[in-house]
Amino acid sequence: MSAPSLVTPAPAVEAIPAPPSVIDRLIAVVGERNVIRDRDDLRTYECDALTSFRAAPSVVVLPASTEEVAAAVRIAVEAGMPVVPRGAGTGLSGGALPVPGCMLLGLSRMKRILEVDLDDGWIRVQPGVINLDVSKEISAAGYYYAPDPSSQSVCTIGGNVAENSGGAHCLKYGFTVNHVRGVRMVTSTGEVVDLGGPVLDPPGYDLLGVVVGSEGTLGIVTEVVLRILRKPEATRTFFATFPSTDEAGLCVSEIIGNGIVPAAIEMMDRLAIQAAVAATGVDWPDVGAALLMDVDGCTAEAEHTSEVAVGIARRTGALEVRVPKNEDERMLMWKGRKSAFAAMGRLSPNYIVQDGVIPRKDIARVLSEIARLSQEQGLRVANVFHAGDGNLHPLVLYDARVPGQEKAAEELAGEILRICIRFGGSITGEHGVGADKAPYMGEMFSDADLDTMAKVRCAFDPATTFNPSKVFPTPRLCGDRPGPYHPHATEVAGLADRG
Amino acid sequence: MTATAGGLEALAAARQERPSTLAEATEALQRADRDRERILFLGGGTELTLGAPPDGVEVLLSTERLERIVEYAPLDQIVAVEAGVRLASLQDVLARSGQMLALDSPWAGRATLGGLVATNAFGPRRTRYGSIRDLIIGISMVRADGTEARAGGKVVKNVAGFDLPKLMVGSLGTLGFIATVTFRLHPRPETERTVLFPDLDADAVRQVALALRQAQLEPGAVAALVHEGGDDLGVRFDGRFELGVRFEGFEAGVRQQAMKLLDLATGQRWRAESIGAETARAFWARHDDARESSAGFRAKLAAQPMDLERVANAAIGSLFAALEVPRCVCYPTLGLAFVAGEVRIAGQVAAAVSAAREAVPEGSVVIHAAPPDVRAAVDVWGPPPAALPLMRAVKQRLDPARRLAPGRFVGGL
Repeated sequence: MSAPSLVTPAPAVEAIPAPPSVIDRLIAVVGERNVIRDRDDLRTYECDALTSFRAAPSVVVLPASTEEVAAAVRIAVEAGMPVVPRGAGTGLSGGALPVPGCMLLGLSRMKRILEVDLDDGWIRVQPGVINLDVSKEISAAGYYYAPDPSSQSVCTIGGNVAENSGGAHCLKYGFTVNHVRGVRMVTSTGEVVDLGGPVLDPPGYDLLGVVVGSEGTLGIVTEVVLRILRKPEATRTFFATFPSTDEAGLCVSEIIGNGIVPAAIEMMDRLAIQAAVAATGVDWPDVGAALLMDVDGCTAEAEHTSEVAVGIARRTGALEVRVPKNEDERMLMWKGRKSAFAAMGRLSPNYIVQDGVIPRKDIARVLSEIARLSQEQGLRVANVFHAGDGNLHPLVLYDARVPGQEKAAEELAGEILRICIRFGGSITGEHGVGADKAPYMGEMFSDADLDTMAKVRCAFDPATTFNPSKVFPTPRLCGDRPGPYHPHATEVAGLADRG
Repeated sequence: MTATAGGLEALAAARQERPSTLAEATEALQRADRDRERILFLGGGTELTLGAPPDGVEVLLSTERLERIVEYAPLDQIVAVEAGVRLASLQDVLARSGQMLALDSPWAGRATLGGLVATNAFGPRRTRYGSIRDLIIGISMVRADGTEARAGGKVVKNVAGFDLPKLMVGSLGTLGFIATVTFRLHPRPETERTVLFPDLDADAVRQVALALRQAQLEPGAVAALVHEGGDDLGVRFDGRFELGVRFEGFEAGVRQQAMKLLDLATGQRWRAESIGAETARAFWARHDDARESSAGFRAKLAAQPMDLERVANAAIGSLFAALEVPRCVCYPTLGLAFVAGEVRIAGQVAAAVSAAREAVPEGSVVIHAAPPDVRAAVDVWGPPPAALPLMRAVKQRLDPARRLAPGRFVGGL
């Protein structure tokens, strides 16, 4: 299997026009203006935030209700068209990348908040609702929605459900899957089914647990019941600088070893700090590493744990510890961290955002391996990561104008994933597998592991209608009997080749 | 295993397999696949009566010899265990490093981690730490066809591939054999303090549950027991509860939260006291006893937390009226409760189950233990879920010949 093309802007596969009868039927369901089939308009949808993969959909449908989604899916199924769901298109793994000949279901019009029950602790929303808008809706009452991916001001709940999105604060509060109580979903037969709901422990298999994070391969989610939390009484934040990532890593281990569960601990290395400074104007010094940490809870607990943690930072070699004087200063610190990816543009004309996970205790060893690779390839790698849970985001910097650099950068990014696998970690902590990392799934999992996942996929979607060629390294057909491997139709046609 | 276990007598005739390695377990499953034998997986046997009695089990596959801790990485706060490891013995090992699995389900001395995953067991700590699905991060299973497969991993943050560990939670051995499980761990709290409300009605329990959240309190455990009221004829449900709220963590935070709750109680005229360690132990021991003492009938109720008064009057009340020596543990912040007791007249208990189900149509009443005549009168799982066709499809793909505990699960799966 060839290495995935992480960066090369592949020439977009031209749209295969949808049959006129399909267009007519879709217009009857969602109206003329919500069926996009003009070639230029379709280009808007040819990739998500992973811009190196592009393919134009045959048609884009923008439904406004569960019923419209179900009708569109039935039309696609009858026409034999694959269906690819899309939220805000902020995904970094190509999860919303169209497959040739597909109907792309854009769920951005479904952005209504349907029901709020503060006392029972949940909110029911449509999938196109922006992540941050959930918290805004309930903020005045003192509640919030915990998962906070860096893109939370633009990404949608539907996309979060598909990707099982995390964020800086998932160390203490968990990921999307820990906050989804139920979904309403359109199945591959165009039927509508509810999985879970506001009440805990509904009898039956926990299909909800599998649907969250399934990257749009099991069904189209049209409503989501989210758990909402009361805001903590107090949050204490500090920013500490260190000579190198070794001391910063030791500090993280010591804090956690002392029984503290921080709400978030983020680590940045020198390059990442420089980028954040250039992009946001935070007055961070030029040092080898920095930690940004939140602890929260009741006031006495937050103060106690923050005091202990600051003491540990000093003891483990912090050069400086800063405590924000007010909420504005705190927000600026977090802005510096959250803008770190985009800030790389200040340091380098091109970069690859990688996402991998390693056991926390191995951070120092893994960082030195990454540094070695970086030197060997002559490419800079900036490191920004959720240190509390070992979720690395190495950013491989390169210049596409220099011959060979792009390929070297791709290889380096791929090698970093292999390091994660070798240390017993994962090829993705929050960005998803999508189209980008599907080729690496076979390195992390055995054929039997993938076959078992594929069986579950086949139970939901035997015709592989939903988001084909994502997640799994090899397109599979769902035979009813075990037997020899059958290549998928798109593979035969040369359309699913990732080379 | 007792003969009253609702049709499980047939298990006595089943062939026993007791593998001591994952390889042996896989061989046992391959043998059963070849011989087309039906299998029941057996852990500590604490929830053997959950679900319908499986059809014609020929092999009992016990995990009792699969009792190794495969990997414990205190710095990473994860542990991987074989399915047969007992909860209490795991906690002992973790305690030596100041850590715990945030799972305080009943029968910890006997219950195995594999069984706890398969039955989605929980205790009062769930209010803070979530359920097993929030703690499990990886699994290795053996499919009905004898294929070993893994999903998840040993890092907490991981979105590569489908989250099959969650699918296995509560699947009651009907989708595959759980061989090893990997969990995330938490630090053991430095200290704890319980605030006790000795006598509250259901509405006040509901209000306390709500007040905890509104006041930004983060208790580690919350449980309400039916007040030891009643008359000479025995315990009768009089609508009153004894509520315990335990704060755990660092001393400063625990003290502040307990004080804040006591102040709140004073303002609301709820009688409350911060109780000493011994009294607290006695309360939580009563809780454990109500969950663990053997009972001919046991059911789990689920509803919205704010519906507690309706649940108490209609569901818990009707079950209490039908049962002998009834008892109830309620988790008011979660909207979950267990009712247990002895069956005198099966028809009355079955009718009470039906009444309880009607009282909480958006929730559920699942029977964990009941004699055959009660089971004959009401379905142990209640009405089939809307997603049953999808559940059936998943079962069909993973166990096409229906050899894993056939008929035990929801909808006859």
